[in-house]
Amino acid sequence: MADIVASSAAARASGRTSLHKVMQRKSTIAFLMALPLILMIFILVAYPAGYAIWLSMLNKSMTKFVGFGNFDFLFKRATFWEIVLQSCIFAITAVIFKAIIGFVVAHFVNNIPTKGQRKWRGMLLVPWVIPAAMSTLSWLWLFDPSYSAFNWIFVHLGLPKISWLGEAGWARFSVILVNVWIGAPFFLIMYLAALKSVPEQLYEAASIDGATWWQRIWFVTLPMMRNIIAITILFSTIVTFANFDIVRVLTAGGPLTATHVFATWAFKVGIESGDIPLGATVSLFMVPILAVAATFILRDISKRGSEV
Amino acid sequence: MVSRKVSRRRFMANTAALSAVGVAAPFVRGAYAAGKLSVGFWDHWVPNANGATEKLIKEWGEKEKVDVQIDFITSQGNKLLLTTAAEGQAKSGHDILAQNTFLPARNAELLVPMNDVMDQLIKDNGKVNATVEYLGKVGGKWLGVPATVGSQIKGPCSRIDLLKKHAGIDIQAMYPAGEAPKADNWTFDTFLKAAEACHKGGNPFGIGLGTTSDNVDTIGAVFHAFGAVMVNEKGDIVIKNDQVRQALDFYKKLMAFLPPDVAAWDDASNNKFLVSGQASMIMNPPSAWAVAKRDAPQVAEQCWTHGFPAGPKGRYAPFLPFFWCTWNFSKNQSAAKSLLLYLSQSSSAEKMVAASGGYDLPSFEKLTTFKTWAEEGPPKGTLYHYPNPHNHQILSVAAAPAPHKIAEQIYNQGIQTQMAVRYFKGEPLEKTLDWASGEIEGFMRN
Amino acid sequence: MANAAVATAGAVRPLRYGSISRDRKWALRWSYFFLTLFAIFFLMPPFYMLITSLKPKEEIAAITNPWWVYAPTLDNFIELLTQNAYMTFFRNSAIVSVCVVIVTMLISVIAAFSLARMKFWGSATLATGVFLTYLIPDTLLFIPLFKMMSWVRDTTGIELVNHWWTMIILYPTLTVPFCTWIMIGYFASIPKELDEAALIDGATWMQTLTRIFIPVALPGIIAATIFCFTVSWAQFLYPLAFTTSTTELVLPVGIVTTLIKGDVFNWGQIMAGALLGAAPPLIIYAFLMDYYIAGLTAGATKG
Repeated sequence: MADIVASSAAARASGRTSLHKVMQRKSTIAFLMALPLILMIFILVAYPAGYAIWLSMLNKSMTKFVGFGNFDFLFKRATFWEIVLQSCIFAITAVIFKAIIGFVVAHFVNNIPTKGQRKWRGMLLVPWVIPAAMSTLSWLWLFDPSYSAFNWIFVHLGLPKISWLGEAGWARFSVILVNVWIGAPFFLIMYLAALKSVPEQLYEAASIDGATWWQRIWFVTLPMMRNIIAITILFSTIVTFANFDIVRVLTAGGPLTATHVFATWAFKVGIESGDIPLGATVSLFMVPILAVAATFILRDISKRGSEV
Repeated sequence: MVSRKVSRRRFMANTAALSAVGVAAPFVRGAYAAGKLSVGFWDHWVPNANGATEKLIKEWGEKEKVDVQIDFITSQGNKLLLTTAAEGQAKSGHDILAQNTFLPARNAELLVPMNDVMDQLIKDNGKVNATVEYLGKVGGKWLGVPATVGSQIKGPCSRIDLLKKHAGIDIQAMYPAGEAPKADNWTFDTFLKAAEACHKGGNPFGIGLGTTSDNVDTIGAVFHAFGAVMVNEKGDIVIKNDQVRQALDFYKKLMAFLPPDVAAWDDASNNKFLVSGQASMIMNPPSAWAVAKRDAPQVAEQCWTHGFPAGPKGRYAPFLPFFWCTWNFSKNQSAAKSLLLYLSQSSSAEKMVAASGGYDLPSFEKLTTFKTWAEEGPPKGTLYHYPNPHNHQILSVAAAPAPHKIAEQIYNQGIQTQMAVRYFKGEPLEKTLDWASGEIEGFMRN
Repeated sequence: MANAAVATAGAVRPLRYGSISRDRKWALRWSYFFLTLFAIFFLMPPFYMLITSLKPKEEIAAITNPWWVYAPTLDNFIELLTQNAYMTFFRNSAIVSVCVVIVTMLISVIAAFSLARMKFWGSATLATGVFLTYLIPDTLLFIPLFKMMSWVRDTTGIELVNHWWTMIILYPTLTVPFCTWIMIGYFASIPKELDEAALIDGATWMQTLTRIFIPVALPGIIAATIFCFTVSWAQFLYPLAFTTSTTELVLPVGIVTTLIKGDVFNWGQIMAGALLGAAPPLIIYAFLMDYYIAGLTAGATKG
């Protein structure tokens, strides 16, 4: 299709020359080139998203319009608020730890001689490359109640066994740990690239002014990396907040509902319990929170951009 | 054209032969069964048990000139449930699909009535128990044929040596192979004491309290044994009664003697706990033992499957039936019925039972005395009491007798185990009951 | 603790020259020490996957040292690879991923060029829209998509549910926005003089794209391709919700739903399956790491 557009464009381009027409033609061609993208977004993303809103206003058997009945129903349930809280704790904690670990490890990698960096970077990025569902399986086996390899070490060190996925607190910890494990390398790579783009002279200048390591990080590194930190946090928040694979494979939401997040609960309610409208309602709650995060961070970036 | 005629004639001959051995099939006779048939069966947990079903279906397929495609679908991670939901939504899928517990009732309007098949089977193989009837027959309509494959009683499977050592119980004397049980003392009190002793001895009972079926089935039977009803037949929430409180108190006591992480257990956790040699008892059909036989023989030799302890209102055991169902949008319903009839004959059932090492349990009265259960070992006779041969316990399903729609949700969401865990974790009993009552109200949505 | 290392390294820095180099040496040692710790943390699960996959069944069932293999065997791999089902999953995954890469790159490179360089009425809004698409997670879309599929079947008779090729239609919704975004960033960074010169020389827009932009932005395209492949290979929710037959499953769902069987002790095979499933992205990454990283970072910083 691209070729057809190209050749017809070429044919027409050779004909007329009026500036106005060229502009008009240029925008037509541009529109045609973006058309597949537009169609895809409208048919497979925008329409189903709107349809989800419609579904969320139907009754369970999808025969009657109930307006905000499903929302009303959810708001009255303790489980729902528990899941709101968990989704937030889960996303916020995981993103913070990913960012911190990524930042710290990026500094270590940046500290060592350049020729060794490639090797370390290669090893440290592995968790990001393995498909999440598969690496989570190995965590599941590491956490197994009867065969936990961690507990084996603990017992040999004289420490008590931990029921990694069995107690609400530990299960939340485990889910966050796996999420950090998978996501931290992404931050590491981003920050490493950003560190390299900070001009060495700035550090030298700071050193001459007698800045401590902390001042150098606070006044040189962080401001220089501000954009990239914002961008990575935005991305990671989105991915973490909508996460399904890890919780699904690791705990399936248990024990009780202690590790359910919006995505897994929507799946449980909508598909497994056959209440499609309620499932759609639950999943809709992911949108506003993400939208807030996005506008907040995007605005921040453009503000910073205009200051510079 | 010619070949089709031939196959049709052949099919007729086969049908006639089938009726001759005692299985009359009026609804298949004359129907054109040949063609294609796709079946989705439960993926067996006993190693290599799928083989028998596959062989039987192939035999049937060759005889009937039907090209059968078999999928084995695991129930782990709710895969089977998802498949059923997907096919019901899409109005297309397997001609025969294994659906467990409450699924046939959920899909009642989409399933072909099996009354003709069931009348015949009950005539040949004897009655079915009340739980099968509650789950499989809605408004006088049989929604499926109770499947041999996968149907199971989840009774206790105990370690002979560990029970003796820690609790001083000789389980083999209580449940002697080949004889009626002498288990009058085997009550909840004895059970709790044994649980405590085994916990002290370092080999606790492995009873899960997650929300998957093994866990829910166990607590369901305990509730029944206390006469604890949460929702009655009419669909009224009657959860605030003393029986429910007693059942929860019992579980609170029991949980103190269980491993600390039972709230997160799934259907595999108890098996792993047994196979790893840590458990003195788990509640499971013989798959755990079968796996131990292969991977940890020294554990398997000490396993003994037996009956449930009795509660104040009787001795209840959890029964989890699978049904073979046919969608009403299936293109080849007559062939499906013919296959189901074939698979439900005594000889077929016996082969499935044998291949599954005694795990599979036909729901029909006359089919509970196959040799497999008496002979399987080691130790010999370990499965003798598994199929409840002396009708010593009442087979039940959690959340009955609530209306199916509500019972299914109570079952799937593991409301009972969740209540037990909440109460155990220190929530006041009335608050737990309020919580459960609120959840159940949610299930009544239309 | 990590900061402490940096502290000892940095705090005394503005001293005599000799001590700086001694401090550097210590900073270096600490860096290596902590990097080793982190590397152990990051590589432990895949390592554990590997050793478990080499264990025979009895050894997994017994309570022995889980971190050691006493009787290594390849049985788990052999059993897995001689199973038709696993090979089917692998094949489905491979075909789906390759097709998704092609479809995605065609759509996103062309669209990104038009959005970055040509502009048309609403193109800025569309660029933002592409970004916003990211905010709508697959976990929200799969329920309505499922209902849409039954509508398609009812009106056209085309069955979309339970076919692996349906994934080729669905996955681009996850890959196209990010790839377009990366490519817009890349194209925007190419100096305007380049394409202006080409246009003045009489090249068409399409020629400008294929002769100038694509070669110049090749690292970005390779990076986007790798990203796209990784995402398609790893996607879990859509195939979990839309496919059920063993012949139609892709790898992650196949492993999770058919290898984990409640009561059967299959962990050797599960780990072998997961390891083989993780292999294609790992291999690609091992050979094209620099493109992978360069593209990922450049796309994100410039977008």
